[in-house]
Amino acid sequence: MTLNRGVYRGRADSDMFIGWAKTPAVDRRFLVAALPTMLAGVAGAAYAVASNLDDPGAGAWKTGALYRATGVLATRPYPMLRVADATAPDGVRSVLIVAQGKCTSALKLPANDGRSYAVAGALIERGARRMIEVPLMLGDWLTPADESAALPPPRIEPLGRKTLAGQIMDTKCFFGVMRPSRGKTHKACASLCIRGGIPPSFWAKGRDGRESVLLMTDPDGGPLGESILPFIADPVRIDGEVFRVDDLLQFRVATHAIARI
Amino acid sequence: MGHQYKAVQWNVAKIVYDLYCLAALAAFIGIFMTVGLAAHPSGHRADPVVLLIRALGTAAFLMLTIVLAIGPLARLSPRFNPMLYNRRHFGVMTFLVAAAHFGLATFWYHASGPLNPFVSLLVSNPLYQSAEGFPFEVFGLAAFAILFVMAATSHDYWLNNLSAPVWKALHMLVYAAFGLLVLHVAYGALMTEKSAIYPALTVAAFAIVAALHLWTGLRERRRDAGMRGVSASDGWIDVCAPADIPDKRAVIAPLPSGERVAIFRDGAKICAMTNACRHQNGPLGEGCIKDGAVTCPWHGWQYRPEDGVSPPPYTEKIATYDTRLSAGRVFVKVRPNAPGQRSQFIMMGAAP
Ligand code: FES
Repeated sequence: MTLNRGVYRGRADSDMFIGWAKTPAVDRRFLVAALPTMLAGVAGAAYAVASNLDDPGAGAWKTGALYRATGVLATRPYPMLRVADATAPDGVRSVLIVAQGKCTSALKLPANDGRSYAVAGALIERGARRMIEVPLMLGDWLTPADESAALPPPRIEPLGRKTLAGQIMDTKCFFGVMRPSRGKTHKACASLCIRGGIPPSFWAKGRDGRESVLLMTDPDGGPLGESILPFIADPVRIDGEVFRVDDLLQFRVATHAIARI
Repeated sequence: MGHQYKAVQWNVAKIVYDLYCLAALAAFIGIFMTVGLAAHPSGHRADPVVLLIRALGTAAFLMLTIVLAIGPLARLSPRFNPMLYNRRHFGVMTFLVAAAHFGLATFWYHASGPLNPFVSLLVSNPLYQSAEGFPFEVFGLAAFAILFVMAATSHDYWLNNLSAPVWKALHMLVYAAFGLLVLHVAYGALMTEKSAIYPALTVAAFAIVAALHLWTGLRERRRDAGMRGVSASDGWIDVCAPADIPDKRAVIAPLPSGERVAIFRDGAKICAMTNACRHQNGPLGEGCIKDGAVTCPWHGWQYRPEDGVSPPPYTEKIATYDTRLSAGRVFVKVRPNAPGQRSQFIMMGAAP
């Protein structure tokens, strides 16, 4: 070795890949093996990432067909239609009403007068929970109907004070518009929806693995304000009052009773 | 002076390169969507838009990991040079995939609400003071801004007009972008998804990039330290015997000043020039002599060995170094000549 100390050879092989020239055989051989291998690696990565995603949850957003429901309109705590339904406990099914997009304040509903209406829109459904998304562009999504006598007033049953652990989520995404609709990557969306007036819900998973979803309201059963925004989609523990109102569970909470876990 | 700038200078290798990258990207997205939609029973099917957002995000992360691995791989073996050759297009493609991920996520999660989508992006996830709840969106946004600047200045036009050091510094930001993306993933997807495969893959990507850079970086440092102790009292340094330089190839001498010199042999002729290619600082000494010109291993720019000027129609110039043969040894002068200046070089057998 007569190279001075510290001097090193660049390359000694006779061929070199130059993009604009003919590819040397040694590089061609390498590429013939490497390119399919890399492609297999890329395919494997796609498979590994896509096949291990969490279950997005049960929920459907049926945009294909127009869904119609007729019932008594209620606006407090959140806009909903109380629909006679023999399959529901006590024969009443609550169908929440939201607008397209993430703003529900634009609904402009008539006063809470106990009258009946027909509502048309897209059905959003998760298990027995229903929601109807109305296209505001369509002028006549809400029309008066005349079966007001059919429904008894809402049955409100107090189930006691409870401390529940879980996540605050917006009902619209959770009922089926977004799957998955939980966790940190969905947090901003949930927070924006709730800021826009979409009813917040509490998703709690009991020790037995059973999940329950409760509509969240303020301590008086009215709509919750923006004060809950910082807690959305985080694991939290809340101390509040649980009620059954028709077929829905209601969780009446004060913001100061929300504790991050 | 300077190059004739065309939008893109195409050749077969570049077209094949781009088509391969596009095919791999299409395969990735296609498999991701198909597998993702089939992963859960029909009542629990993932939303295709959310899935596409995830496919694009994962693809962009994987692509940036590959972009960053190619450089050190090419240093370790010239077999990876073909992957380096059109890496810039791959980089721009990475930006476009990131842009699609960013646009779709912003639209899907932040549009048609009570806030401007871009305001929502910054405020809807408000726990800035929290170590664990910190909004992952911000990391992604910052990384995207860097990729945008890099893609926008990727053309050689900017390399020349911003000057090489500024351009290089700007493009070193890609490491910051990669770090930000790791945080974006760690604070977003990894805090949402339960499977352990995601942290494992993220750590693997980071570790591969870090290890490759550490390895080649240390090797380079060791090499650069090489001639630090060598004295050059008369302004010349003993490099090697002429036969130590393979024909049409070079040896590289890291001078005590820190500069690296490439000393090429073309038959009986021995010429020295800076090791740094005028284009993107490619290692000329790892290149070869082709058609009588020193050819850079990265993108094939060429320089005449004697004066460091690119053959016509190009006019690039690099610094040359004088060489002389003394007692059967090749000496190189430590002071460089001006770029493009004809050097004093060795013709073996011609001088006594
Ligand atoms: S660095 Fe691009 S040709 Fe040399």
